[in-house]
Amino acid sequence: MKLTFKLNGKKRVIEAEPQKRLLDLLREDLHMTGTKEGCGEGECGACTVIIDGEAVHSCLTLVCQLEGREVITIEGLEENGEMCRIQRMFVEETAIQCGYCTTGMIMSTKALLMHNPHPTEQEIRNALAGNICRCSGYTQIIKAVKRSAEEA
Amino acid sequence: MRCVGKSHPIHDAVGKATGRLRYAGDMELQGMLHMALLFSTIPHGIVKKLDCSKALEYPGVVDVMHCFNTTTKKYNRYLTQFRQDLIYNECIFNTHVRFVGDRIAGVIAETEEAAREAVKLIEVEYEEYPYALTTEEALTGKIDNVFPEGAVFGDYTHDVGEKQDTKDLIKVRTNANLSRINHICMETHVCVADYRKEDGQLTIYSPNQAVFGIRTLLGGIFDMDANKIRVIKTTMGGSFGGKQEWVLEPVTAAAAMRVNRPVRLVYNRSETIISAYSRAPMHFETEMDFTKDGQLQNVDCDLTLDAGAYLGNSINYARTVAHKMFRTYKYPYCHYHSKAVITNTIVSGAFRGWTSPEATVMFEHSMNVAARRLNMDPVELRLKNVMHENDIDLMCGVSLGNYKIRQALEQGRDHFEWNRRKEEVRKFNETNKRYLRGLGVSAGGHVNNFYPGKTDFARVTMSLNESGTILCNMTLHDHGCGTVMAMKMIAAEALGVMPEQVKIGEGDTDVTPLDLGCFSSRTTYVLGNTTIRCAEAMLASIIECTARYSGEKEEDLYIEDRVVYSRTNPDLHYTWSDVFDFSMQSLKQEVFVSEDYIPESNPGVCGVHFAEVEVDTYTGMTRIVDYLAVHDIGKAINPEICRAQTQGAVIMGSGAALTEHVLTRSNGKPSGSLKDYHLINSWEAPNVKVEFIEEGGDPGPYGAKSIGEVCHTPVAAAVMGAVNDALDSEIDTIPITPDVIMEYLHQKSEEAKR
Repeated sequence: MKLTFKLNGKKRVIEAEPQKRLLDLLREDLHMTGTKEGCGEGECGACTVIIDGEAVHSCLTLVCQLEGREVITIEGLEENGEMCRIQRMFVEETAIQCGYCTTGMIMSTKALLMHNPHPTEQEIRNALAGNICRCSGYTQIIKAVKRSAEEA
Repeated sequence: MRCVGKSHPIHDAVGKATGRLRYAGDMELQGMLHMALLFSTIPHGIVKKLDCSKALEYPGVVDVMHCFNTTTKKYNRYLTQFRQDLIYNECIFNTHVRFVGDRIAGVIAETEEAAREAVKLIEVEYEEYPYALTTEEALTGKIDNVFPEGAVFGDYTHDVGEKQDTKDLIKVRTNANLSRINHICMETHVCVADYRKEDGQLTIYSPNQAVFGIRTLLGGIFDMDANKIRVIKTTMGGSFGGKQEWVLEPVTAAAAMRVNRPVRLVYNRSETIISAYSRAPMHFETEMDFTKDGQLQNVDCDLTLDAGAYLGNSINYARTVAHKMFRTYKYPYCHYHSKAVITNTIVSGAFRGWTSPEATVMFEHSMNVAARRLNMDPVELRLKNVMHENDIDLMCGVSLGNYKIRQALEQGRDHFEWNRRKEEVRKFNETNKRYLRGLGVSAGGHVNNFYPGKTDFARVTMSLNESGTILCNMTLHDHGCGTVMAMKMIAAEALGVMPEQVKIGEGDTDVTPLDLGCFSSRTTYVLGNTTIRCAEAMLASIIECTARYSGEKEEDLYIEDRVVYSRTNPDLHYTWSDVFDFSMQSLKQEVFVSEDYIPESNPGVCGVHFAEVEVDTYTGMTRIVDYLAVHDIGKAINPEICRAQTQGAVIMGSGAALTEHVLTRSNGKPSGSLKDYHLINSWEAPNVKVEFIEEGGDPGPYGAKSIGEVCHTPVAAAVMGAVNDALDSEIDTIPITPDVIMEYLHQKSEEAKR
């Protein structure tokens, strides 16, 4: 199907199979591999992207659902070639180890802060509950999110 | 120190934060094909016939490989060293299938989607055999046809010390059962292989812990000259022991050589859980003899390890428990016996800690039961029995050095306010009907390298370049826990430069020096020490070159901030770029050094963990209320990463204690879904306090000892102990899921009625 949607601020018109997963569209067709597949069933959050302001699993989203919508991926967060504040805080706070959950974690953080610029720790924990990190105990990640909010 | 001991982000953090860094699954080589595998759907039997005709006709399919058209050379996935003594009983594709998930065939296609669709079109005809899903079943002889040798392997007995007269001693008998757990690295299993037919060159890209092990294995399977095989370690999305046995490398290599094109094979989550490997289910039966005042005298431990369908590391894994018996407690005698039993289940393999966490569950559960029998406080009982400084590990005869396990226990007891909490918990439980709280303590020791049991050594090279910075090569395999940054920091410290002025290589068999692989917690200790030696040699070489070029005496020269000065000649001033220049132009040599290191020490390293839990007796759910981890780390090279790793290990080990196990249905079909494998998430994760004792005193780099595995060692035992304290129970099987707790409470209330 022919599809018109916004990807990281730019209008895209593409031809794609309607039942293709958004995750595959990004990674295979558009070669945007920042979004990762961790489970393919919406359990781990590694594939999180933002659609119309909401964090969603790109592994559970089909291409046919994208018409007219606005998608933000990790590749869309950098500003003028520099990391955005959330990305900087994740780096500075040692919130990154193996890194495979990181882009999804950052996208969930971005969605949280779009809705709630000053979340409490419990709100952060709730917002990230769908993103599994196997390396850390979430402490540094939560700190990075807090600082991203505080230093806005 | 200007660098070591100050926290630095992991070296590739920016690439990871921006999503620009490429993992193996993100790689795209020119002309690359994709592969998907067909797995056995029965737990045990023979593939009688395969019909691949429909798969071959599927659009985009290039070829189908299977158990009838691929080499049947047997190998062992655990092979990490040349001529390692192992039993080979696995093939790339197996005609005799031994578990649901055994590889039967693979489709190579232009896209992953086509490969996966075509796999569904392969028709298989099986002859089914009886199967066994537990060691008890397998030990009945039901599956003795599984291998020519039968189903039982590696019968092993080891005695250490002298048995103490049991008269007047109190005997404590316990069992401990550990279930099958999976690493759940966020990055699933993946391999990319490239083959050039014209010169027979095979290149493997995979996230792995031992590039040379893979080279050795592939050379054996395909009868290839090692020079024709290049193995390159890619960015690793976590390992936890899950990427130290070779699952996809042989398959992908065979595929690339068959089609003479690059092939990428990516397991999805379900395939990774079912067809890679998991930590073995383990059954311990233990007897311990104590004096009346709590001095441990004799330990008799028997382990039956469920190897799953192929041997892999299981014989070695079961035996290794014996090597962990004298890293924590001091006692005169240990009798240890183990065997590995084949079952028709997921293959067992390495897990973070390589039996230290498992041995600790066994040991600490016994200590908790003993504390009850002896009417002693669990911390007191441990204080009575832990190793002291310079005590000897009786298993290997090596000193535990400046071991601070006793100090860790005392510090943790004070900072966790153990005695105050005990009183609080007692009051809480008296007044609460629904919730019960409990406390757990666990001490667990580990190692820093292979010394003295196995060979261990490392080589590091350094060369000076025109920018006056250092290229440092070693066979490192960063799992994602920051060993590259740790080595940069160690090198920078020793060279007197900044970490960003040192570039560190990672495992690449064509480029980096021969090495054993990054496991057994040896990286910081062995490669770190080698790095320091190499840095010292580099500084000496810079001085020597400068002396030769300038005619000054070596002893008059010194280096400060990458500039060579003379104490006697104030005009002498050579930057490291100048040294590069005159070495090249006048001395006609590269400023290059290469240094070896062979460890001859393996000091004690431990964590002592304290947990408080709250069990909801209405639902069986357990919440970790508070947690303290105290570690004798010698010296934390990159402290925040060490803390983050420790906190992650606490979440991982708590999962093993409370929720994590791979479900296998009675028909032998396991669940590969994360819906059935619950990981503790940010919502439930406790705030974990971490304290490091940094008193050095041992020969590690800047006094450092290991952390990545030892921080996982005490966890499951601490949480298990806390739940048993809350319930006043002696539950000996983990995970203690809500179902287990509800069943226990139900039985307890039934007993009370009687």
